[in-house]
Amino acid sequence: MFLSVSDLTKAYGDERVLDGVTFGVAAEETLAVLGRSGCGKTTLMKAIAGLVPPDGGSVALGGERLDGLPPEKRGVVYLYQEPLLFPHLDVRGNVGFGLRLRGVPAAERAERVERMLDDLELGGQDQKRPGQLSGGQRQRVAFGRALIVQPRLLLLDEPFGNLDAGTRAAMQTLFRRVARQYRITALLVTHDLKEALVLGDRVALMDAGRLHVYDSPEAFAADPESGVADEVAFWSHLGNPPLDP
Amino acid sequence: MRGRVLAALVAAACVFPFAVLALLSVAELWAFPDPLPPSWRPERWLSVGGGLFARSVALSLAVSTAVATLSTAAGYVTGKYVAGHRRGRALLFLAYVPFAMSPVVLGVCLLFLYLKLGLVGTAVGVVLAQTIFAYGFAIVLFSAFWTPELRALEDLVRTLGGGTWAVYRDALLPASRGALALCFFQTFLLSWFQYGLTVLVGAGRVQTLPVRVFAFVNEADPYLAALASCLLVGPPLVLVWVNKRFLFAPDSEDPAPVAHL
Repeated sequence: MFLSVSDLTKAYGDERVLDGVTFGVAAEETLAVLGRSGCGKTTLMKAIAGLVPPDGGSVALGGERLDGLPPEKRGVVYLYQEPLLFPHLDVRGNVGFGLRLRGVPAAERAERVERMLDDLELGGQDQKRPGQLSGGQRQRVAFGRALIVQPRLLLLDEPFGNLDAGTRAAMQTLFRRVARQYRITALLVTHDLKEALVLGDRVALMDAGRLHVYDSPEAFAADPESGVADEVAFWSHLGNPPLDP
Repeated sequence: MRGRVLAALVAAACVFPFAVLALLSVAELWAFPDPLPPSWRPERWLSVGGGLFARSVALSLAVSTAVATLSTAAGYVTGKYVAGHRRGRALLFLAYVPFAMSPVVLGVCLLFLYLKLGLVGTAVGVVLAQTIFAYGFAIVLFSAFWTPELRALEDLVRTLGGGTWAVYRDALLPASRGALALCFFQTFLLSWFQYGLTVLVGAGRVQTLPVRVFAFVNEADPYLAALASCLLVGPPLVLVWVNKRFLFAPDSEDPAPVAHL
């Protein structure tokens, strides 16, 4: 596996947030992680990114152990639910931010930013400030800023959680396209069952600090814990009241 | 129409004390019930260019700039630590102590230590004493500024490949520009108008502008006191204008100028 997480543990006081989490993600695969709030999803992502030191276990990427490496040396980009664009930079400056950190020459930077803006359908927006963009546009800029540095692993923490239904669907389509185009390996955390099934090549369920990865969507749907059966029952009974609460 | 009259009255009430000060500073004599000074002495302002006034203005500017710079820089870093600490509320309470106590009481507390260190009667001693006071204020201000979103921004820059220096240079400091300017402005004013602490720690030898104003008042020279007061309100007015013009412009969604690569 390209990403290999072994027996990862983390506790805050008496609360075990990660309880021996072990899983792998293949290269160019997207693993969607579902789970309730507070089940440890964000801590897992931050531990992989190097933003939270785990109490035990190890993380390897492409065969290289990441344990002890600072976040800036891991090649792992973490995307939050909020786009977190830099307010003092315009769209072009935001997208090219990581390249500037890496000292990429200005001409090459400009060319790569231009290409990324076109890929993300942001052409003509390059001079705008974050406050002048819609929610979907801001999230695209955040994507562009992450993708342009060609991360080895992309961590997405409910990236579409704050978007309306239409924009969310459009962003899901866009993500699938750019994930293929840029051959992204990604770990995507979401609350949304449908989003997990649409975007994930595989799906995992996190509960009480433990992660269960399913081999196939069918196996996931067959597990009563996944909530798929309840969802199917809800839609099947729609129009045939009375519904059970 | 009534609104305009009301606005003019409010504006006049705000401007009136400053106008009186300005008139008094150029009057030769001005006694009640004269509505305006009967004779003028504008050449009094020529004394500003040299001697006592120039030294006091320069000293006040140096002391206040040093206090504002030190307390803003230290408060920025400490505020971040306090905001992220699990006992942040208790630490914040401690930060309030010098800020909540009277500056004179703070000066009395410091006096013995300062005497031992030979800092009494020196500008350095006054700067340090005022900085302790302003530092508490800066911590309180910045602890509210370090939001989870700003911390997330810091994490994001690190995962994008930025080290600690890049995090501050390229993300946190530009995003903190407004808060830094606000803190600098407020701590500058705290220091600029500071009297009791300066007299106590400065032991009368550190003659900042407020000390000079009170000296003129005690000498019953209202004209020189008015002139010194005009000098005292000048720099804060310039700072207010700079803030309004460049940092907190009402039509600007983002106070920082836009930049791209």
